[in-house]
Amino acid sequence: MPDLIAFTLLLAITAYSTAGGVDFGAGIWDLLAGGSRRGREARALIDHSMAPVWEVNNVWLVLAIVLCWTGFPLLFQTVFARLYPLFALALVGLILRGAFFAFRHIAEDPRAHRIADLVFGLSSLLTPFFFAASLGAIASGRLESFSLMSIAFGLVSLAATAFSGASFLVGDARRYGAIELVGYFRRRAVIAALALIAVGSAALVTIGFEAPDLFRPMLAGKGLPFALVTMVLTPVVGFLLWRGVLRWYRVLTVAAVGSMVFAWAFAQSPYLVPGQLTIAQAVAPFSTQVLLLVVAAVVLLVIGPAMGVLYYLDQRSALESPET
Amino acid sequence: MTSALWLASEPALLPSRIQMAFTLASHVLLVPLGVALPSLTLLMEGIGLASKDPVALKIARRWSVVMAVQFAVGAVTGTILSFEFGILWPRMLGQFGGAFGLGFAIEAWAFFLEAIFIGIYLYGWERLRPRTHLLFGLVLPPAGLLGAFGVLASNSWMNTPAGTTLKAGKVVDVDVMAALFTRALGYEFWHFLIAIYMTAGFVVASVYAMAWLRGRRDHYQRLAFAVPFTVAAVLAPIQLVVGDLSARALVADQPSKFAAMEITWTTRDHNPEVIGGLIDANGDIHFGISVPSLDSLLVGYSPNAVVPGLTSVAANARPTIVEANITHLAFDLMVGLGSVGAALAVWHLWVLWRRRRPPESIWFYRLAALAGIGAYIAVETGWITTEVGRQPWIVFGVMRVADAVTTAPASFVWTMLTALVVIYALIAYFFVTLLLRLSARWRREDLNQPSEPEVGAPYGPRPRTFTA
Repeated sequence: MPDLIAFTLLLAITAYSTAGGVDFGAGIWDLLAGGSRRGREARALIDHSMAPVWEVNNVWLVLAIVLCWTGFPLLFQTVFARLYPLFALALVGLILRGAFFAFRHIAEDPRAHRIADLVFGLSSLLTPFFFAASLGAIASGRLESFSLMSIAFGLVSLAATAFSGASFLVGDARRYGAIELVGYFRRRAVIAALALIAVGSAALVTIGFEAPDLFRPMLAGKGLPFALVTMVLTPVVGFLLWRGVLRWYRVLTVAAVGSMVFAWAFAQSPYLVPGQLTIAQAVAPFSTQVLLLVVAAVVLLVIGPAMGVLYYLDQRSALESPET
Repeated sequence: MTSALWLASEPALLPSRIQMAFTLASHVLLVPLGVALPSLTLLMEGIGLASKDPVALKIARRWSVVMAVQFAVGAVTGTILSFEFGILWPRMLGQFGGAFGLGFAIEAWAFFLEAIFIGIYLYGWERLRPRTHLLFGLVLPPAGLLGAFGVLASNSWMNTPAGTTLKAGKVVDVDVMAALFTRALGYEFWHFLIAIYMTAGFVVASVYAMAWLRGRRDHYQRLAFAVPFTVAAVLAPIQLVVGDLSARALVADQPSKFAAMEITWTTRDHNPEVIGGLIDANGDIHFGISVPSLDSLLVGYSPNAVVPGLTSVAANARPTIVEANITHLAFDLMVGLGSVGAALAVWHLWVLWRRRRPPESIWFYRLAALAGIGAYIAVETGWITTEVGRQPWIVFGVMRVADAVTTAPASFVWTMLTALVVIYALIAYFFVTLLLRLSARWRREDLNQPSEPEVGAPYGPRPRTFTA
């Protein structure tokens, strides 16, 4: 049962990495879209596709945090007592992003608008980088906020979010019939896929040197299947988008990024902090575990269909304005 | 003296307490509208559908825009809070997460439900059939209720901890039901729930009381004022009773908190009720109005009832003099504002019952316009009463705040605090600007050409095409 709770926690982290990643990635492309005039089209699309989902993604984060402190109090204490600078920086990014996303809708002065765009874009870098850096610090087993491992994980997350952001923006551009933007984001998705392959390989080498105990299971153990999926799917998505085969690429993007998170988690299991803390050591008392799973099961019964409804309505474009 | 010692041994204690207080004080302002505005909106939408009144539907849709902005800001400040538990109080969570966290585990899922259904509700205006839209919306009040239950279960656990078996300082077993449903939950939950519905009612109505004072007196203004104000008015007298029950329960559950609220120095009978006033380190009361034996009467319905004093608890286990005074003044202010609110409520209900219309006195609307701010202050002071009154404990009688605080350097916490204050100020500015701008635009529209209420808001149904 402790494993099941750890798995639920992993699912929440993965959901945040993939769904949140798409969102942060869009923010990164917003930052790179250029000046007010040049980036106008791209920014309008990014805004348009992000508005309905962005606060829903925070849900995964809160869920992960709460599962962590209730299910694995000792992990929570250990990690936060050491890695607080990373979390503080990620948080600052998170609120700045939320605030300036809203602000750029109300800024009337073009200069203020430009500043809002900038802050929004920069904070989209900050948050994924530092959250992923904390995972890197955990994976190293040494819990050092600023180390090669934390930086490597941070950079991988930037490439991964840029990659998933661009991939999903291709889809949104198609849906809204913005033909030039389809090509625009296809090119960027291909570049991001290449960047992800490069940064990912570098990170793997870093892991090999810095955390050999993690490296082995990742390439010759429980992490391998997931590592393989990532290694195969990332180039595949890049290839599909390069050739303009616009089918399946979004699902495969999610699978590629999600598998990366799984590869890390499975490689270090049964440890929550390699060499220091196992799932069994950190888990809360039995009855707490039961409650956590019961609540999760009950709510999933409600949330599952609800998300289905939301998705259905969104796909049917029932949530769009009627044509005027 | 003791607090000076703590500062020396726990350098980050002071900034951590300020940071937690600041972020919680900000978040608690978003809670009333976050939890209760969906209910008011649904009520208005229901009225609109039942009486085929397009004005009521327009009001409901506008409120839902405010609801969305409010929810987005609350989601961010709430996320910050969940991280702060780890950044500022890692030792408390490490030791008691398995019990304290239960409520939050429920809250997190409730928040999930809310986020999904708020999405459907907001983006579904005029895209879904009216009844379907209302039905989806009806998930929101119970989800908000469940979330409030979770948070209050956790807070109640901090006040009256139960359900944990400790072995060598480590929680080895948790009785889930006992840890969720602690003694304090009974009163904290109902008191807070009524408080946020009341506050939402008063706050929303105060906007339209302002409109009345500015001369707008049409069907739109009357409806948008009367519905939320009546909800608040019905609850205000009930709150006086529930609040009284809560305060009296503290005599047994947290005598040191109750003593601080009443600034009672020694345990005694015939205890006076001190209204306003301050206590000093010798237990002498300065300023304020003292009503003989009233506190004893309120607690035990008899002047002979014995009321606990601060000195009944060891000096290092009760609020300091400064904390006691803060608790006392906050408590008095809350009770005072609650009583004024109840009086205003009775006025409204009386006229409504006798004349079948809201009051028409200008003084009524002046007070109603202030009731929104008053309600917010009452929520803040109520929260200060319960949090400051619990000091020096983070888990009452079990763990001190000083033993839970992070080992991070004070400079780090001060820096983070400064950054948060600056960013929160920005958010507050954006938030208020946005609301004022929406309200000005809606007012203009009512005079001229109507358009969709969400234009200019960051969240709302997306047009089918986008324009750069």
